Amino acid sequence: MKFQRALLAALLTAAASTTALAQQKTEITLARFFGACDADYGSNTDLSKARGECGMITTLVNVFNATNKDGIVVKPQIIEWGPYYQQLTARIAAKDIPNIAVMHTAQLGDYVRLTEPLDEAFKTAGIDVSDFTPHAKAGVTVGGKIYAMPWDTHSWLWHFNVGMFKKAGLTDDAGNPVVPKSVDELVAQAAKIKEATGKPYFTMGTLASGDAGNGARSFYTLLYTQGGTLFPSGDLTKADFGTPEAKKAFDFFETITKNGYITKGMDGAAALGAFLNGDAAVMLTGTWRIDDFVSARSKPDSALKDGYTPRIFPNLFKEDAVWADNHSWVLLRGGNDEKTRKASLTFLKFMWDNNLNWARGGGHLPVRVSAMDEYAKLPERSHVIRISEIGRAMPKEVRRQFGIQSIIGEEVNNVINGGKPAAKAASDAQERVDQLLKSR
Amino acid sequence: MHSIASRTIGDRLILAAVIALAIAWLAPIFWVIGLSLKPNDVIMKTTGGLLAPPFTLKNYTDIIATSAVFGWMLNSTIVAAGQTVLTLALSTLAGYGFARTDFPGKTIVFLLVLAGLAVPEQAIIVPLHTMFAEANLHNTYLGLIAPRLAVPFGVFLMTQYFRGIPAEIEEAAMLDNASRLTIFWKVVLPLTIPAQATLGIYTFLHAWNDYFWPLVSATKPDMYTLTIGLAATQTNFAQTEGIGFLMAQAVFAGVPVLILYLFFQRHIVAAVSGGYAK
Repeated sequence: MKFQRALLAALLTAAASTTALAQQKTEITLARFFGACDADYGSNTDLSKARGECGMITTLVNVFNATNKDGIVVKPQIIEWGPYYQQLTARIAAKDIPNIAVMHTAQLGDYVRLTEPLDEAFKTAGIDVSDFTPHAKAGVTVGGKIYAMPWDTHSWLWHFNVGMFKKAGLTDDAGNPVVPKSVDELVAQAAKIKEATGKPYFTMGTLASGDAGNGARSFYTLLYTQGGTLFPSGDLTKADFGTPEAKKAFDFFETITKNGYITKGMDGAAALGAFLNGDAAVMLTGTWRIDDFVSARSKPDSALKDGYTPRIFPNLFKEDAVWADNHSWVLLRGGNDEKTRKASLTFLKFMWDNNLNWARGGGHLPVRVSAMDEYAKLPERSHVIRISEIGRAMPKEVRRQFGIQSIIGEEVNNVINGGKPAAKAASDAQERVDQLLKSR
Repeated sequence: MHSIASRTIGDRLILAAVIALAIAWLAPIFWVIGLSLKPNDVIMKTTGGLLAPPFTLKNYTDIIATSAVFGWMLNSTIVAAGQTVLTLALSTLAGYGFARTDFPGKTIVFLLVLAGLAVPEQAIIVPLHTMFAEANLHNTYLGLIAPRLAVPFGVFLMTQYFRGIPAEIEEAAMLDNASRLTIFWKVVLPLTIPAQATLGIYTFLHAWNDYFWPLVSATKPDMYTLTIGLAATQTNFAQTEGIGFLMAQAVFAGVPVLILYLFFQRHIVAAVSGGYAK
């Protein structure tokens, strides 16, 4: 009888503890893209084994869920990248608001009224805003207040097939490719590359709708390196494609297309294949490709076996600048009560502490000044760390930035694939962006 | 003799053309299946050499390893089946009403229904979403099924089909004192099976492949349909570094429909070719 009572007491205590534990758990939802990779990383908690954006974010969440002592469980809500903002907006309208959401800082201007300012919250959570890189800080600051935790900086590069540059006599004494400093120098190089290898200088995805970003990022960089802006009058509701800088940016694409210095009619996958097969000397794509090409370089049958190196999209005009954007994390208004806000900030602090891991695994730049020295030690990263200083973005107050990017990219692709005259591309971009910015 | 030989040559030419068209039609499908069996890092370099190793099933195991995928498939089945059954019921009833009954304003109502054919989905998505948000119907099966039940094409198809059935058949049944409901259910409705099969197939396929409305209505991962769920699993750069995975997703999403076709192919072919009419 005594034993039975003791057993019953033990069972009741265990049940009570389990219930109490369950009640102490705080579930928070994390709306994100980056894909799903349960097969490879579903239960992985070893950060050193995580590769790629999906692998690293999945592992980070696994590690947090396994190790945090506050009973917080993070539930990822994975959304396709392309229509992410359509779905996020639909969720906000339906009052189905996630606790934390990923957001490009280029989009923050459109959503700032729907996100919580986080200056005070970061102080409490121990996230040191003085450690934000300049570009990251600019990206998350609107009207002097911080509205997101920056997560990475991603930007636009020239990826060089060094072997092809060597063949054309365009490498320096150290064996590095000679990076052109002007459009004329570039054109001269392109002629040499074509003569020596029979291949075009550039490849870039220009065909699929998702490739619009490629042309736009190149356009923005060409604009910024001239000291130009799409809003010279200061009126951020009225873009101007008639400036000399904008015209020169479109002219650049016309010049390289006319002379056959860029591949035509290729989507991103085909352009990537072209570069990996040695069918072009320079690939125009982002920071996220560095590890793929470093890996390709090490294969003996690879077209990059004679060398690969990335460089920030060079300054062909007068100042160092490059298009750059950030991923960041926001707390949307109405998405948290006091309990979940605290849990969300605890998770964000964990992510902040692992920013270098994200950069290492995800292929982007970290947003912490204190992480830059370690980051620079990764393969080829020393060539790109300046992005954190010279990266440029449109002012936050410019609305519909992704829409503007699509239009510019489409017009650039029309010049390359369809032979559209640069002047017409510029005027069409003007008309389309005017319409976009007028519509509500 | 000459005419028989010409007909044989003509038949042969038609057969050759049909074979060529079939190959052209099937080639992309074989291409998709072939790519789905290749490792993604190999396809990054080249999509040639489909018949040469290496091959892999990893793209499929990666899909299946996503624990929610069968839940998404169930959601798609429920939504597609629900839409099909309800669309058939509503369109058939509406079609019979327009074809066989008289009521004030019938012509205007019919024209209004047809006018719905000209309204693109995108034009009404915002008010539709707001309406369902206010009714708290997002992330429910009703929220996924209900907006798709207004099918002007279905009403038009069934109306025209009912109009094509001789009225004498119903008159004969009326002479036998059959009620309107009995006439509809036992006499006329069975005669519309070919049209129902056509509308049912069209509705099911449309519902199975539906993307736009589930994207903004089913926002909780456990309510995703297969189209949304599979798309969500794609990494940001899937179009460049995950082509094999994308192709495997396309095959995976199409297999249930293929299985359905295999079970019902006799009826489907008969319906499409008008075989039931004989």
